[in-house]
Order: sequence, then C-alpha cells, then structure tokens
Amino acid sequence: MRITIDNLTKKFGDVVGVEDLTLHIEDGEFVAFLGPSGCGKTTTLLTLAGIYKPTDGVIRFGDRVVNTVQPKDRNIGMVFQSYALYPHMTVFQNIAYPLKLKKVSKADQHDRVRQVANVMGIGNLLDRRPGQLSGGQQQRVALGRALVKEPDILLFDEPLSNLDARLRLTMRGEIKHLQKNLAITSIYVTHDQVEAMTMADRIAVMSGGHLQAFDSPDELYNRPKTQFVAGFVGNPPMNFVNVEVSQANGSYVAQAEALQLTLGAERGEPAARSDGEVVLGMRPEDIQISDAGDVAGEIFIVEPLGREDLIDVRVGPHSFIVLAGAETQYQAGDPVKLSFDMGQSQFFDPATERSLLWRQ
Amino acid sequence: MTGPEELFDSAKIKPDEAPRAFHQDLIDALRLGVISIVLLLIAAFFFSRIVHPLFALGSVEETAMDVLTRLILLALPFVAYIAAASVARRYTGADTVRALALALTCTVILFALISTGHYALDYGVFAPQPSLQMTLSQTDAGIRVDAIAPGGAAETAEIQVGDVITAIRRDPMDLQSFNRRVGQAAEGDPLRLRFIRGAEEMQETVRVVLVSDKQLGVLIPGLALGLIFTVIIVFLPGHWAPYIALVGLLSPLIVGYAWVIIATFSFRTEGLIPLDGNDNIGGFTLKNWESIFAGNISGLEFNIWPILMTTLAIAVVMTVVVLLVSSMAGYALSRMNFPGRRFFLSFTLILHGFPAITLLIPIFIVLLRLGNLPIIGDLIGFNTIGGIALVMVAFQLPLGVWLMKGFFDNIPWDMERSALIDGASRFRTYWEILLPQIRPGLLALGIFAFIGGWNAYIIPATYSIGSGVSNMPVFLNELIDETAPVDWNQVAAVGLFQLIPIFIFFIFAQEYLLNIYAGGTKGSS
Ligand SMILES: Nc1ncnc2c1ncn2[C@@H]1O[C@H](COP(=O)(O)OP(=O)(O)O)[C@@H](O)[C@H]1O
Ligand SMILES: [Mg+2]
Repeated sequence: MRITIDNLTKKFGDVVGVEDLTLHIEDGEFVAFLGPSGCGKTTTLLTLAGIYKPTDGVIRFGDRVVNTVQPKDRNIGMVFQSYALYPHMTVFQNIAYPLKLKKVSKADQHDRVRQVANVMGIGNLLDRRPGQLSGGQQQRVALGRALVKEPDILLFDEPLSNLDARLRLTMRGEIKHLQKNLAITSIYVTHDQVEAMTMADRIAVMSGGHLQAFDSPDELYNRPKTQFVAGFVGNPPMNFVNVEVSQANGSYVAQAEALQLTLGAERGEPAARSDGEVVLGMRPEDIQISDAGDVAGEIFIVEPLGREDLIDVRVGPHSFIVLAGAETQYQAGDPVKLSFDMGQSQFFDPATERSLLWRQ
Repeated sequence: MTGPEELFDSAKIKPDEAPRAFHQDLIDALRLGVISIVLLLIAAFFFSRIVHPLFALGSVEETAMDVLTRLILLALPFVAYIAAASVARRYTGADTVRALALALTCTVILFALISTGHYALDYGVFAPQPSLQMTLSQTDAGIRVDAIAPGGAAETAEIQVGDVITAIRRDPMDLQSFNRRVGQAAEGDPLRLRFIRGAEEMQETVRVVLVSDKQLGVLIPGLALGLIFTVIIVFLPGHWAPYIALVGLLSPLIVGYAWVIIATFSFRTEGLIPLDGNDNIGGFTLKNWESIFAGNISGLEFNIWPILMTTLAIAVVMTVVVLLVSSMAGYALSRMNFPGRRFFLSFTLILHGFPAITLLIPIFIVLLRLGNLPIIGDLIGFNTIGGIALVMVAFQLPLGVWLMKGFFDNIPWDMERSALIDGASRFRTYWEILLPQIRPGLLALGIFAFIGGWNAYIIPATYSIGSGVSNMPVFLNELIDETAPVDWNQVAAVGLFQLIPIFIFFIFAQEYLLNIYAGGTKGSS
C-alpha cells in the first residue's frame, strides 16, 4: 500500500506535534522515522493510524483519502513500545482479537493464530497471560497480533526500546526479515539511529515537528543535506568546527586557530564560495591518529569501547572525537598527530545549517 | 527484613555482650517507666486542663475530653509496666530468672510510686467515696443497719441502729443494689430511704457525703494485677503484639456483634448474658425470629417479604445504574476532551461534598412534580421505588464518577489505541478492553453502592409513605417507633435479618474479591 502524506500538520491546542510534513512512501517500503524524543514521530504515526485527526493536510492510502476514516477501517497493524497487550486475555485471545473483530470464523481464527504464533516462536505460550511472559515474549505477541490480520500497513513505535541490548539485536533482524518476506509497507519509529540505519530502506529524519531529510541510509550518511542530519546520523557523532576556506595557488585551504587543512577543488570550491566562516564536519572515522598526520594535538580523554577506543583530542581550542584501535595505548596528555581524510569532509552554512556541498 | 517481632525485641541481648549489673538494668527500666508516666501525665494535663477549657462550651467535646483523660490515667500504670518490662524482655530466653526478677521489682517500685501519687492527690482508690456513713448487712427482711458513724450523714438524718432498710423511694433494694446506688450518687444528693423500725414503716431523707475511706485492702489486688500483667508482657511472644493490639481495638465491634447475635436468640439479656423470665441464666428462644416470619411483633402487623424485595430492588437498581453511569462518565472524563469538562469535574466534586439532608425538601418537591407526569410519574415519582432509587443514585454518582475517572486515568492510552487499531469500535474498546482492567474499581464501587442502597434510610424514609415501598431500615425504625415497650431483642433480630444477605454476599464473593485485589491488574504494562 502506497502512503502519501501531504502537508500534514497536527497541533494539540498550541503545542505543535508535527508541522507541514510531506512524505511519499512506496508500496512495500520499510521507512524509519528517526529523531530525538519529542520531535513528533509518535504523533505522525498515530495520525496515520487514525487515532489523531490531522489539523491540516491530506493522508492517502493508495488513492484513498483517509483523513476521516476510523482506525478500525484502515486495516493497520501497530506495535507499541509498551506492547499494549490486553492483560486479561491469554496470548491466544490477544492474537485472535483482531480476527474476532473481523468476524473470522472460530476455526479460521484458530489456524491463523497458530500459524502466526509459530512464525513468531511463541506457539507454546498461547495459554499464558501477558503478565507471565518475559519482555521479549510480550514483544513477539504484540508483533503477532499486528501481523495476524494481514494488514496493509505496519506501524512500529519504538518497539525494541524496552528490550535488553542482545534481544534488541535479534529482534531487529527478525522484524526486518519478516517485513521483507511479507512486503508490507512499514513505518518504524525510533530514536536509535543504528536501528534506523540497519533496518530501513529510507529514513525520515525529524526534529522539532519538522522533516529534516528523507533519504536512504547511505545518502544520509554520505551526503547529509543539513547539519542536524549530519550530527544525528552516525555514531559517534560528527565533529564540527568553524573554519575559513580560501583558495591559494590552485588548492583550497580550510583554516582555523591551530588548524590548517588542504582540500581538493571538488569540496573546496563550493565551500569557499560563501563569505566568512563555514562549518566543517568530520566523522570520527575519517580522522586518523598517525605520525604522518599534519595536525598536532594532545589527548584529553580515552574512552575504551572494547573493540576500539573513543579518543577526545584537543587541537588548540578545538576538540575532535577520534576512533582508534583498542590495541593502541594512548594516555591522556600524550601529544599526537592527526591526519584528516578531507575527501570525506562536509561543509555547512552556519546561518542556515544547510550543506554547501549537497543541494536539496 | 524486619518483622514485628524484631521491632518489638530490637534490643535482644547478645550472648557475647559484657554482662551488666542488675541495678544498672533496674535503673534503665525504672527510668523508662517514669518517663512514660511523665509523658502520659503531660498528655492528661493537656487534655483536661488545656483542650477541655477550650471546648468547654460544647458539652459533647467536654465529655469526650473527660473520657480521654480518664482513659489515659487508667492506662498509665500499665504503660509504665510495659515500658519497664521491655527492658526485662532482653533477657527472656537467655536469663529468664533475671528477666522475671527485673520486671517484678520494677513493677513493685512503679506501683508504689503511682500509689503514692494517688494518695497524695486523693485519686483512684484514695479518692473520697460517696457514703451514708453507716454499716449495713443483708437480712431476710431487708438491709439491717448495724452501726452508725457518730456525727455522720446517717445520724444527722436520725437513722438508728436496728432499722431495716427496704427501698430507696419506691425502688426495692438489696445490699448490693443499695451500695451501687449510693456509689453512683454525687455529694449532697438526697436519698429518701424507706425502712422498718419496730413494726412501723418510716421514711427519712439522707444526704450523701464524700468520705475518704482509705481502703488499703484494694491495693493488694491492684498490685497482683500489675504483677500478672508484667509477667505476661515479659513472656509474650513478640509477634503476638500486633494481633493483641488489633483485637483490643476491634473489641467494641466484636462485643457489639456478639450482643446482637446472643440477643436475637434469647428472652432478655443483661450485658452479654442471656436471661430468662426469672433472671436466671438461660432463656434461649426462637420466638424473636419466628415473629419476623409470622409478621407480628408486639402487635405491629407486617409482611417481611415485600419489605425485603423493596430493599433488594433499591439496592440492585442503585448498584447497576451507579456502575453503568459512573464508568461511562468516568471514561468520558478521563479520555475525551469536550467543552465544559473541567467545569463538570469541579462541579461534581462540590456536589459530592453537599450533605444530602440539605436537599431533602427541594428533592421532595421535584419528586412530587415528577409524580404528576403521566407514565414517568409512576416509575420515578414520589413514593415509588424508582423515585427513591433515582435520588440515591444521584447522591452516589459524584463519588462514583470520580472514582471511575481515577481508575481509567491509570490505564495506559496505548492499550486503548491498540484495540481501536485492532478494529474495535469505541464502545467495544470500553466494554471488552477497558472495563476488565478496572474490575477492582467496579467491584469496590459496586459494593459501596449495594451496601449503601441496602442500608439506606433517610431517603427511603423521606420519600415513601406507608409500608408499601418501605425498606428494611425504614421498617426497623417503624418497629422502634410504633411498639411500646420496645422489645430490643426483637429489634436485634430484625437488624440481624437485614444483615444476612450481606453476609451471604461476602461469604461467596470473598474468594473472588481476594483474587481480584491480589492479581487484578497484574500484567498491564
Ligand atoms: N496528546 C497530546 N496532547 C498534547 N501534546 C502532545 C500530545 N501528544 C504529543 N504531544 C506533544 O507533541 C510533541 C511531539 O510528541 P511525540 O509525537 O510523542 O514525540 P516523539 O514520539 O517523537 O517522542 C511533544 O512536544 C509532545 O509534548
Ligand atoms: Mg514517541
């Protein structure tokens, strides 16, 4: 089912939930809504589900305008962060509830619930009540309940954030796998950018009720169109520093106090066109600590992450987060040299926060 | 984990602790005892000398403060013994002899201390007693005067040795009742005695005087009581303490119910003791119950079954309507935003605080008018079960609506949204998903409403005439009003009869209630 959202606005009195959102989602696509807490992801999702009525704008499922269609007539399956299982019903009754409401015959209900439960790996739990299940099992029941009615659209609202890290990883794979197999158009809300990056075909990055970007994970990562997106996508986050870019005898130079970086014309030219300072963005993985480096700095903090170390290097007044292999033995205070891979550098207009390299 | 036992015995002596001298413990215990005495005296002083004058205008509070002060003074020695015994309890088990010696010594010393205080203040056994200042003995003919104190009240009234007293005014007396009567009199009260001197029957009025007769003999049982009490405290297992306190606090209730039950099966009762017509213990009878079903109590004719059905109808209608309306209104107030929602909420809260009595007359007029309407009037007008139930429902609703709103507020929104998305209509969501989550609330409100309806008095009594639509409480009152003399054992039987359905309800619902409260909303995340 294709979903077309045009200029959607939802306000609660004076509070803006989401404003002027335009988003076209293809049939069978897996889209993630990514953004910090309170940016309007849930509001958008619940408006799609029909729980909230849009203040303004149009929502279409396929060609049908659904603005005033009741939730029960939208054929949507939804999984909530709190699972929202019905505590007074058994697992079987929970999963069968949407079928019962569709007046599916008892025998069919039985077959379909069994089938879904087996796919979800909860076939042996059908007689239990939600209170007797672990978080992961409850999550599977919730997923089963959303799937059993063969919905046109699946909505997920931070479904994994109550699970422990290990289980989250497993469920992530399973949900993605299921979605690909069933080819149901899905929207997956999360504030965890790793989840969004690994699962989604396209990611809608939101902030403060507005859509910041809507692109594939690769595009968002390699060609961020705003400084917000650049900072939000990627972990650890991108380093930002204000520089002045100038052209000197054929090559371009980005300059700041204690910092002088040469870069190619491909990036240097659009960056240098603006007057005054621009924001240089460098991902931690594009800065290396190496003796061949041409920027001198001093190690401020070392945070071991296991596989690698997260190192805060001070260069003059600036601070750069850098990744280094765990086998390195840096100590706070050590003098180091940094080498910047300027082929991966990003530049933003400090006033508009838009990228100088990639136009919308 | 700290159970009641550990709390009570927190300072149990440890085996490896250095032994303490006996007199050290004794001083500890006495100090505790004296501190508690001083604290209680301060409390008594506070109530009788500070609070009492403040309320002196209102006679009810006056007696309440009096009773409180007296209770404190009565409990005072026992609290002191408990305080002292708590020190001794450290040794129970480890060194029982020492524990006992310590506790008993303390008790004797504290008793002496308190008694000295009483002596100094003319209080307790040393308080002056009302007396007629003559010595009496019981004979077959009556109470014989054996001796007369010179210059005393009896001599002033010209009573002579050898007189045989038969009555005070018209009331025949034996020695026991005579002493009781004198004991209850205040200083200066005139008592007109009838007595026989020689063959002649005479009357004289004696004025009661207060005499401080310091009967030291009374102190012995007092001390014995204190010692026994202390020994019990010393050996009482710590975990019994809460139960004993509980039983103590509940004892008025227990005694009350015991009386009701005993009274319904007996001819007459003196306290809790059933008596027959000749004042001998016994006199068990079923007549109190038989006459309920026979429909005739002390000449008042009635049929109990329609009254019972009316009671049931009021209670059931009230329960059903209150549950239905409260839960729906509570749902709307909790989940929906509509103009006037805030006003409605605060308004119902004010209504809840409104005493029903103030509205009796306006509602009476409303019901009268309603009664004039065709058809509706026969259902909910004046002097109909419907009208009574309607008024009672109205009074119960504010509480019910607020209670239900609170319960709905606690259900996560997501559960309801989930049901809507699963394909349920709004009503189905309410009925199939939300109501089951608030079962404990529905049950509590239902019980409130049912018992309230079952025991309702003021409203049924005001809005019904004759026994056509009167319920049990109204009938009970009628029984007391219209029979003379009132047969209280009969009244008790009717009262107990009214309680039977409630008992049955609780016996059957108990298991279910416990279940619901133990695991009702488990699993709702
Ligand atoms: N029912 C509501 N009433 C009023 N304000 C709301 C309501 N739901 C959400 N909001 C507000 O709308 C904004 C977006 O909320 P939400 O969509 O829940 O954010 P997210 O899911 O991205 O964390 C927040 O500022 C929130 O306070
Ligand atoms: Mg949210």
